[in-house]
Amino acid sequence: MTADVAPAQADLVVGLVSYNNAASAAAVANALRDGLARHVSGVSSRLVLADCGSTDGTTARLRHSLGGTEQLVDVAAPTTAELLERPYHRIPGKARALRALLSSAKELSARACIVLDAGVESVTPQWLEWLAGPVLAHGFDLVAPYYRRHPFEGALTKGIVSPVFRALYGVRLRQPAAGEFVCSGRLVDHFLDDDIWEREGAQVGIDLWLASSAVSDTFRIGEAALGVRRYRVQADEALDLATTLTQVVGALFADLEARQERWQRVRGSVAVQRFGEPVGAPADAVAIDHERLIESFRLGYRELRDIWTFVLPPRTIIDLRRLMDASAATFHLDDELWARIVYDFALGYRLRVLARDHLLRSLVPLYLAWLASFVIEVRDRGDEDVEQRLERLASAFEAQKPYLISKWRWPERLRS
Amino acid sequence: MVEEIRRALNLAEARIVDGIANFLPGVLALLLILIAAVIAAVIVRYVVFRSLQGLDFDRRAEVLGVSLADWTPSRSASKLVATIAYWTILLIGLLLGLTALDAALLTRFATAVLEYVPHLVAALAILMLGGVIARFFARAVLIEAVNMRIQSARLLSLGVKWTVLIVAAAMALDHIGIGRTALLLAFGIIFGGIVLAVALAVGLGAKDVVSRALERQTREPSHEDRLDHV
Repeated sequence: MTADVAPAQADLVVGLVSYNNAASAAAVANALRDGLARHVSGVSSRLVLADCGSTDGTTARLRHSLGGTEQLVDVAAPTTAELLERPYHRIPGKARALRALLSSAKELSARACIVLDAGVESVTPQWLEWLAGPVLAHGFDLVAPYYRRHPFEGALTKGIVSPVFRALYGVRLRQPAAGEFVCSGRLVDHFLDDDIWEREGAQVGIDLWLASSAVSDTFRIGEAALGVRRYRVQADEALDLATTLTQVVGALFADLEARQERWQRVRGSVAVQRFGEPVGAPADAVAIDHERLIESFRLGYRELRDIWTFVLPPRTIIDLRRLMDASAATFHLDDELWARIVYDFALGYRLRVLARDHLLRSLVPLYLAWLASFVIEVRDRGDEDVEQRLERLASAFEAQKPYLISKWRWPERLRS
Repeated sequence: MVEEIRRALNLAEARIVDGIANFLPGVLALLLILIAAVIAAVIVRYVVFRSLQGLDFDRRAEVLGVSLADWTPSRSASKLVATIAYWTILLIGLLLGLTALDAALLTRFATAVLEYVPHLVAALAILMLGGVIARFFARAVLIEAVNMRIQSARLLSLGVKWTVLIVAAAMALDHIGIGRTALLLAFGIIFGGIVLAVALAVGLGAKDVVSRALERQTREPSHEDRLDHV
């Protein structure tokens, strides 16, 4: 694949990352074409495609729908290892694609670079304006998406990624590991100079690491309300929960190791400016049987307690024992306890007390316990109640940060 | 006659003195080698103990499942390894000293033992490695089975662990040549019998259950896998 139009300067670069998204390609391409024509027509723009080796004609469909005005960047085909890994975001070789897109944006001296995923079929033409506006008009450097989601969706992000990100990096981003975002030209240069691209695990963790790279310096961070996010998933693409958790939480813990000098100095957190209001109604989420989740936790406690004792102190094991004996009606995982469990696993990950894959997979029953507790609390509650609940959880993670710092600096305290 | 007796006694005395004179250097060499071995053993024990302590060997061995600490009253894997190194060097020093005595039988004995020691060490290494691998696979199977909500997760994990341990033990015994033929036959019969029994039990006794379970696995993601967690 080669660039088929001579590069020129463009204020706005819209980058589209794709991998076997033929089913949604037409809808996405039409939305982008309309968006460029009607919502960001006041700036010079360029559409850049970065395909990661699709075999279902995605690139051809996109080019057909876009009418040949786009630029195609070279992205090396995914390696066998990357194809076998099956990342949770479903795009093997994503780090290379993002790097190629950002490099194109730099070559075009773009003031803003929007990155979108070609599998998101809920993209609307207004997304371009909502994302680009804060950067072009208000001088922001990174704008992450804020989606309108069902309370049970994105539980891993709500329960672990977002509160840890907020507590450690001091920025209240609801979706730190988003596949869609916009960055300024200044931030593009910073991203390209960062060493995250060659780090082990970059293909899986790149979304999160870009956000942490941005908040680790003096860049202006914001959020844009984009409405509902719907991803077209093939039947054989679904990843099991254990693999998803291992990849996402593993990327988060790996980043803690890499940026330990930075997050240990951060105190408190700051809210980011949000642009726009969430629109659209979220799709009905899959019904969750919280009793099944509790049973999974109980099985995990019975069979994996010996493994958990490698990272969790005795008092945490005792608290989990009490939780195991609780009935479904009174099942509640305390926020502070949950925060300490996540932090202890982060420490265990760093100290390699077990094979890292084993350690992260053994976290699944504990995560299901938290999810069950969360579902019981927020079921049949309104959006505002859910927001307050998540706010309390995030505050607990911030309050337990000294616990993490103390054990991080003195690892011999891991199980005390 | 008295002269004859005196001459015989002088001859015997000379032979005894010659014998002792020939034997003493070997004994002296043996003593020197033993003293050097003791000194070397003490140094090596100290160095090994300190090095293992520095590498946090006790904790790492516990995580790997190498339960060396259970074999020692002090419950320190580092101390056990250091003690083993100490006695090994002493034993080697003793064997080397025996060869210095220049007694044919003792020399052959010492040489045979020294030739056998590498095989013994390799067999021990196979056992230890087998233990580590068994623990690794057992843990992986246990965690995965729990995440798949299989109630007999612990049983599956134990099955995997003991399979790997039995294979490692068979390889170690084969390596040191103990009951090679009988061992191989016994292992093949038992292992093959177990596999056949399980295949028959699953294939005949539970084929409907397996068929439904496989169908569910291939068609339908599990309850929590259907959620978008990210």
